[in-house]
This record gives sequence, structure tokens and C-alpha cells, in this order.
Amino acid sequence: MLKIKIDNISYKAGDGQTIMDVAKGAGIHIPSLCYSDGLPHYSSCMVCMVKDKRSGNFIPSCSALVLDGMDIDSSSEDVLAIRKKSIELLLSEHRAECEAQCKVVCPQGYNIPLMNRLLSANDLDGAIKLSLSQTRSSGLKCFDCKGYCENACRRKKIDLPISIRNMQIFIYGQINQDFAAVDSDLPYEKPSKRFSSRIGPVEPGELKEWLKESKNDSIRFREILNMESAALESESCMHCDCRSADECKLRLIADELEVKDPKGKLVNSPIQKKININTGLIFENAKCIKCGLCVRLCEELKEEPALCFINRGFVSIISEPLTEEFDNVLKNRSKEVVDICPTGALSLRTPSSDF
Amino acid sequence: MHFEELKINRSDILTTNCDCEKTSQVDFTKVIDEVLANTGREPEKVILILQEVQKRLNWLPSDALKYICKVTDITPGQISGVSTFYSQFRHLPVGEHTIKICAGTACHVKGSPLISDAFKRVLKIDDTKNASADNLFSIEEVACLGCCTLAPVVQIDGKTYGHVKTTQVDEIIYDFLHQGKMSTMIQEQDGNKEVDAEIRVGIGSCCVAGGSKEILSEIFEVKERYNLNIRLKQVGCVGVCNQTPLMEIVTKDGIHSRYTKVSKPQVEEILLKHVKPRKLNKKIRYKINDLVDTFLSEDKLTGQANLPVELREKYLNNFLNHQVHIATKNNGELSPESYDEYCLSGGFEALNKCLKEPDHDSIIKIILESGLRGRGGAGFPTGKKWDIFSNSKGETKYVVCNGDEGDPGAFMDRMLLETFPYRVIEGMLIAGYATGASEGIFYIRAEYPLAVTRVRIALKACRVNGILGKNIFGSTFSFDINIFEGAGAFVCGEETALISSLEGKRGTPHLRPPYPAVKGYKGKPTLVNNVETLTLVPWIITNGADPFSSIGTDKSKGTKVFALAGKISKGGLIEVPMGTTIRQIVENIGDGVADGNTFKAVQIGGPSGGCIPESQADIAIDYEELTRMGAMMGSGGMVVLDNTDCMVDMAKYFLTFTHKQSCGKCTFCRIGTKQMLNIITALSEGRATLEDISELERLCKFVKDGSLCGLGKTAPNPVLTGLKYFREEYEEHTRGFCRANKCQSLIKYNINDDCTGCTKCSQECPVKAIPFRPYEKHEIDQTLCTKCDNCRIVCPEKAIEIININA
Repeated sequence: MLKIKIDNISYKAGDGQTIMDVAKGAGIHIPSLCYSDGLPHYSSCMVCMVKDKRSGNFIPSCSALVLDGMDIDSSSEDVLAIRKKSIELLLSEHRAECEAQCKVVCPQGYNIPLMNRLLSANDLDGAIKLSLSQTRSSGLKCFDCKGYCENACRRKKIDLPISIRNMQIFIYGQINQDFAAVDSDLPYEKPSKRFSSRIGPVEPGELKEWLKESKNDSIRFREILNMESAALESESCMHCDCRSADECKLRLIADELEVKDPKGKLVNSPIQKKININTGLIFENAKCIKCGLCVRLCEELKEEPALCFINRGFVSIISEPLTEEFDNVLKNRSKEVVDICPTGALSLRTPSSDF
Repeated sequence: MHFEELKINRSDILTTNCDCEKTSQVDFTKVIDEVLANTGREPEKVILILQEVQKRLNWLPSDALKYICKVTDITPGQISGVSTFYSQFRHLPVGEHTIKICAGTACHVKGSPLISDAFKRVLKIDDTKNASADNLFSIEEVACLGCCTLAPVVQIDGKTYGHVKTTQVDEIIYDFLHQGKMSTMIQEQDGNKEVDAEIRVGIGSCCVAGGSKEILSEIFEVKERYNLNIRLKQVGCVGVCNQTPLMEIVTKDGIHSRYTKVSKPQVEEILLKHVKPRKLNKKIRYKINDLVDTFLSEDKLTGQANLPVELREKYLNNFLNHQVHIATKNNGELSPESYDEYCLSGGFEALNKCLKEPDHDSIIKIILESGLRGRGGAGFPTGKKWDIFSNSKGETKYVVCNGDEGDPGAFMDRMLLETFPYRVIEGMLIAGYATGASEGIFYIRAEYPLAVTRVRIALKACRVNGILGKNIFGSTFSFDINIFEGAGAFVCGEETALISSLEGKRGTPHLRPPYPAVKGYKGKPTLVNNVETLTLVPWIITNGADPFSSIGTDKSKGTKVFALAGKISKGGLIEVPMGTTIRQIVENIGDGVADGNTFKAVQIGGPSGGCIPESQADIAIDYEELTRMGAMMGSGGMVVLDNTDCMVDMAKYFLTFTHKQSCGKCTFCRIGTKQMLNIITALSEGRATLEDISELERLCKFVKDGSLCGLGKTAPNPVLTGLKYFREEYEEHTRGFCRANKCQSLIKYNINDDCTGCTKCSQECPVKAIPFRPYEKHEIDQTLCTKCDNCRIVCPEKAIEIININA
């Protein structure tokens, strides 16, 4: 048995246990991104830093083995500062947006991107459930709204914004009592203000533009009468948000440590979005933090061809092997690999309606 | 390489119709099958396989990679990860010849970026192309060729050109294309024959680059012409690398005469001065020629052969007298490849002594008592490391000799491996015997082909003579050694990364513990020792712990080999006792700063070290002392800087290096160094503010604390020492002023009134920025000028000056 002190409290540890293991057992929360139970640790993200008081060195707790008599500091200013810096650095090359503008400007905070995704996947039930959860307490507010969402819609820059309000109204009209009974205990809270990554700062002019009343009446009345037209309309959505906006660990920890989105973003490779046509796996390189969890999981699952690291240093990326096409990778285990990704870099095209 | 580029390249590779693609289409399967028959098919051999395939195909087409995956157990993921991690591997076809431009520290301070630009300009190669239009040449910037005293250095295929100037590009390319076939290697004669004199010629990399091969063939010719009774001997590095080629004549009566910077025409004269021709008619011919020469040529009177000995050897003696040779014992005397000579000079005595010693711990005790510390940089006590390793249980235990000397500006390990391969092998065998290991591996970086060849020859000779293999010297000790060639990744000098690389993985380090001494290569205990450390071992065993520990300072014992280069008059490879001051090295051994400039600082320890200013040059060299100064022993590169070197530029240079060489695993090193580099780049371009400098300082602290391995933890050192000793210089840059006139964005070229209108600059200017006006004062069109430095080099009046951009 080894003895270890974490934040001045003594614990016992077994041979081969890491500091993180002990902390978990003791209920001490240490944030981490690149660590997952059951996979070999990799010490990449450095978010789980703790300080060895005896040597004064900072060590990643996920892979640092407990040594007898260790005295660990996991909560001082120094430790929080270095954790915060690691998140800041990761965010500085995270060229992606957490939220879509339509959702940000919506006074009710309706999850418009998810609605679009559900509709384009022909999942009317899912869309109804979503609407229900958002409107139960006070009803749909779109009838009298000035349509900020449509003003902020990026599709506007290409042709016309999406008829978001009409779609909301159409779905709201489909709600019947059965659903209300099933989901009566689903609470809905307007999302609180969270950390939000953005590419570039919000220009004052841009903000003004969003908050204007939607004037284009022709759009206001682009009618959505049935599922067919709703699905067609939702196809035009450009999916400006992140598919993992709510589960993203990077975002959660950024919230927890009160990190602000860094102003200047670094460019390590051009922003790309790859879609595997066979499995619906989506890879967005600009969201990837190179933690290597997917690579390690693929090795563990013996999945071939799989994802791998390419290049070295700042320009290293996760990619399909040089000898393969992206359409051929991860034929069987996409879901597991997507689940282990701490950010939205890996996702599946089909939305999950279990919100 | 950026991701999108890779993507494009891949499709390019499939559609291009160049010849190399055709050949690879036709027979790469055959080539690969042949390679695999020699290398084996295990996944851990992937680096070797890729190296061999690339040697034959010149690059790695993706179809070839695919085929390798098909016929071996190597997965597409592994082959892609590994082949893009190491810089040696190419995924695009290249020109027939590769021009390697050294970007080492010494070359950098002597202007290698300008050389690189000049080659690109002349060959019309830019970032979008990988080869010149005729597909003859490709340009590659390499971390360090290890010929620092000849800086700036360019290597085309095997041929090295030193002291290159930007205006010489055409000349060099012409010379390369028209060179005669390399004169066939001259065989060494029977060593026991009675001869009038022994002629020793250095054949270390620096000497070869300095032209020693030509000198050798000339000696051979003169010998034949006059039928001289001499023995030609090719010896390893003497360390006087800035004076190459070096020739030493030892006559029958035992008198040594040394000649430096020998040129081809001088050979005949020098030889005949010491050795008299045997036949009468030859004698007469020589006499007549000699007389005629005396009358006709001025050269003759000032020729080296006629200089008095004191004058000729003054510098050499100065250079050598302040040194203590332990690791480099017998330098310039031993023929590096000769097993017999090493034995005659007392080689393998230490091993023999050990093998008679049944108590292995007593050997470890000697090393422990000698105070020897790892010469790789961090200075961990070697005896302690051996002790931990010796106590690790395991059936197979490995000893790895770390010869992945990646520091730009350092070439000690290369020289030791090239010159004393047997001594390193002996050190490794002793380590193996003392600690109970049974297998050894030489990890030698790819840029040192000569070192690999020499070690390979030495290993073969050892095997033949029963020094390697089963029951060495009839004892129960069995040990065998193999060579592993690195593939171009600085981070692999870190021991855990080195082991990943040996295992055929990407060379990423991992957190210690577990230490390699407990769990290393293939999960077995592994002892990783630096080349220099192992080279010192035989001497310590032969002479005992006390003689070694009596040299040096309190905590740092023995000697240290340094590669002295940069703006020094006499650079080279030196071995000095620990505790020698920097000033002693620079002024006594190196003969001060060159070209009448003033001594500003010394960069010690390469990218993990720092710049120690002239004001602090009296500190003694010692692990603790250097760390206290903010620098680091590192592997022992010592680059002298003068007043024309800018500290911001130096920091930028090293950050560019570490940023490029970072493995990309941990956040602080991968992104932190990039952010630091961005700030320092802004600073060198005059775009940064004082607030940016504070931000840089904060960032340095985080990167130092937060990085996983030594590379990242020490990466901020060049910036931190810069800020510590040269802060005002950093602050000046925020005002757009570079006092050394080095930062490209803050300077311009100007022609002063000394101009005589000779038009040379105008003719040499590659961008026609100087109008042709004979007999008038010339002017530079600043909008066209690319600051290539050509005009300044060719101006006979020194009328072209570099001034501040705002002046």
C-alpha cells in the first residue's frame, strides 16, 4: 500500500494506480480531456495537471503513477492557472462555433439547429418532442416574434434565410395530447449563458443586423404545411452549430474554469469537413484537439482501416491513413469512436433525438 | 505538411505522369519484396523498411505504402503515422539530386537563410514545387549536417560544400555536375612495412568536406610520381575542424609536422620537404622544378612548407594545449576503422579487466565513484542509472547508445562515432557486462551516414575477433550489438521517444516513471546512454575512479567535449576539463572572435540552452552553474555570437526549430511554442508591443511547467535567457530597431559615398534593384530589393551597408 496526500488529506493507493485513480476514488474532481477508462493513457491535453509539492513540478494526474509519500496539490491557484492555460491553448486552435446564431439570438433559446436536423432526417416525432419540451410552460412564442433567428441565419448570405418560425409553428400544430401525457415531466429551462467558441469576434454591425426585425415578409409566409415541405425547408440549413454543443467536454471544462474564447485563432491546417458516405461519420479537423482517444480506441478495437495521426507537431492531425479513402474507415464501430471523442470533431450525420 | 496539401498530393500522385511514377508502377512490388526479404516483415521494422524502400525508389508512393501493408502485418494507420512523423520520408517525387542546406545554429548565424533563398532563386524552386524545372535538383533544409566549423554548409548528394556564399550558387551547381568521378578510395598499405614517413590525413566529415579526399589522391599521385616510400594513413577527426584539410607527417625519426588548410598544389611541396625521392633522376627533376618555382612564383616564398615550425603550428598548439583528451584520446593518430590499431593503443584492455572481475557491482561502483554524469544534457549520474538498471529483473535487457544528436550546432557524437567507433563499442560492452544486459543497439541519426558506416565496419571486426557474440574473450559473457538508423526527428533524442521509435512507432515521449531502466524497449529494462558517456567509460575503468574525479568541479567531474563554432576564429571539436571558463575556451582555444567583431555571447546547449553574455563569460562550465544561468549543458554545442548577431533573431531561430521538432503530443509544447513563435516573429518584424513581451514571458513559464518531456520543458530557455540578459534588445524591437541589423524586416541596404561606380553590384543583383550606372554612385531601389546580400558580398569598396529601415 502506498500513501499519498491530495490537498492535505491522506489516502491509500495500490501499486500501479495513477493520481487520477486515487482522486476519483476520493471524490476529487480533476478535469481531463484525453483520458478514458480502459484505454492506455496518453497525457496529451494536460488539463488534468496537479502539482507535486515536493519537487514543485506539474504532472498530468491521468498518467502519473502514485509514488509512496507523494504530496499532491490539486486545487491551488497555480494548478488552476495551468489547467486554464491548457484549455486556452486548445481553444486557440479550435476554429469552430459552439452555437448557431439563430439559437443565440432567439429570445427563447429554442434549439433551432436540432429541429432542422430532426426534420431533415424525417423524424417528425423527435421534432414534436423537442418542441413540446420547449413550449410546455409558456406556449410557442414564435407567433408574435420579430424573427431575429431568420435575420441571423447565415443562409441569408447565399440566397434566403430558412423559414424557421413557420417550421416551429407547423410542428407546434402537430402536438397532441398524447405527447403531452408521455413527456409531462420533461423540464425545459432556457439555456443559461455558456462559454461559446466563435471564429472571429462579433462585429457591432453584425450584432445590430441580427437584432433587427425580420422584414422580408415573403419569407415570413413561405408556408410549411406538411412534413414534406418542412423536410425540404430544413435541408437548406447550413448547420452552423456544433453537433456536440451540449456534450462537448472542452466546452464544459471551459465553462468550469471560466475560460474566455481566445481572440486570435491559430491556423494549423485549413478547415475541412469530411463525411463518410457509408457510415455517416463526420470529421471536422478544426474542432479536433489531437488527444488521440479515437486512435487509441481503434487500436483497442482492432478496427482497420481506422483513424491515425498524420504529420508531427503543430501541423499534426487526425486523418484516415494515406493509403485509404475516408469513406472506407471505421466501417463497423463509428458509434463507439464518436462517443469517445471529447469534442464535436467526430460526429454522426443522423441526429440523436434523445434530448 | 498541411492536411489539404496531403489530400491534393495524394490525387496528384495518382494522376501525374512523371517518370518516377511509371517506374514505381512497374517494379515497386519487386523492390519491396527484395527489401522485405532482407529486413524482415515485423511491424516494428517499419522504419527500416521505409528507409530501404525510399533508398531505392527515392520517395514513397502511396501505392508502395499500400503494397507494404498488404504483404506485411503493418497497418495502414501505422505506416501513415510513422512515415509522416519522421522528416526523412518523402511522399512526393523529388529531383534527381537533393541539395541539403544546413540550418544548424552555426550555419544560421553565418547566413544560411540567405543561402537557401539564393538556391531557390537560382533553381527557380518555390514552395509550390519540389524540384527544379529540369527535375534535376530538389532543396531540403536539414536541421544540422554537423559540419559547423565550415558554416554555412550545403550538401549535394554526398558532396559537401563549406563556407558557401550567396553568389556562389551557379559555381557550386556547375562544380557538382562536372565533378570527375570521385577518386577511388586509396587502399592503406601494410602497416608493418618500414617506411620513410607516415602521412596522416583526416577523414572526418569536416575534413572530407574541406577536400581531404582530393588531397589523398594527390598524395597518392605524388607518391607514385616520385616513388616515395611513405605510408598513407587515413585518420579520424583531430578536432581542428576549421582548418581542414589537415595533414600530418611523421618521419622515421619520430618527428611530427602538421599542416593545416592544405591545398592540392601544396601537397607536392610539403611531401618532398620531408621525404626525399629515392631515384636520382627524380631527385634532379624535383630540384630543377623547385628552383624554377622559386624564381617564378611568389607563392613559393610564402608557401606553408617554408614557414618556420613555430609559426605554422602556433595556432594548432594553442588549440590543443588547453585540452584534456579522454573521450578523444589518441585523436588524429588512430585509423578509425582499424581494429588492430585500437588494440595496440590499449583498446579493449578495460573490457578485459572487467571480464576478469566476477563482481559486477564493483564495476558500477567505480563508475559511481568517478562521478560520471550523463553527457546527453540532463546530467543524471551514470553509475546510479546503471545501478537501477542492473537491479531490474528481466531475461533480456538492452543497452542503447543514444547517437541521435539532433541539436543544431552540435557534432560531438558524430565525431566520436566516426573516429572512435571501437571505444564506444567497448564502453557499451562494459555497460552491458556490469549490468547484466545481453543486447546493444546503436541509435544513430540518419544525417550521419559516415558514422553508421564506421560503426558497422567496427562491429563486423569485433565479431570476427570474438569481441562480440557468444562468450566474449572466452568468458561467460555474451553480447551482441545492432545498429538502428534514426529517421529525422529531434525529439527522439529523448529516451522514451527514442524507444518508441525503436519499436517502429511515432517518436512520441511518455511520462516517466516507468523509467526505461525498468520498462523500456519491448517492455524490457533498457539502459539509454549517450555516446560521449559510453566513450568515457573505458578510460575510467583502465585508470580508476580517482584520476577521473580529480578533474573537474565539485559536482561535475571529468571532461566535456564541445563543438566550438559560430563567429570564432578557430572553431572545432574540443575536450576540456569541467570547470574551464567560457572565456578560456573562446579566447585561448578559439583564439577570440573572428573578423574584428566583438564577443557578445555564447549559445550553449542548443535549443534547450541559452545565450550567456560576455559579461558572464567567466563562469566555470559545470551542470549546475549552467542551469543556474538559465542555459543548459545540453549535448555540448557552443556557438559563439558577436555584435552582428541579434538576440531576438536567435530566439526566433531556436523557437522555429523546437516548434518544428515538437512531436505534437502535449498541448503546451504543440500550441504553446507556436504562440511563442508568433509573438517573437511579430517582435522581429517590429509589430509587437511591450505588453506582448510580458505575455511572452508568461507563456514561457507555462510551457516550461506544462510540457510533457524535456523538449518542451526547455524550449523557452533561449527566450528566457534572452529576456534575462538582453531585455533592452527585445524592447528596442518594439520600437522597430534591431541593433545588430539582422532582422530582415527592420533593415535595408544602402550604398554610401565610397561607391566608385564599378557596377559589380548591379550585375550581381538578381532582381535588378540596382540600375547599371558606370562611374556613378549606385542606388538601390528599395521596392525591388529582396535583401539577398549579394551586392554587399561583391562590393570591392565595402560601400554597401545595412542600415535601419527608418534611417
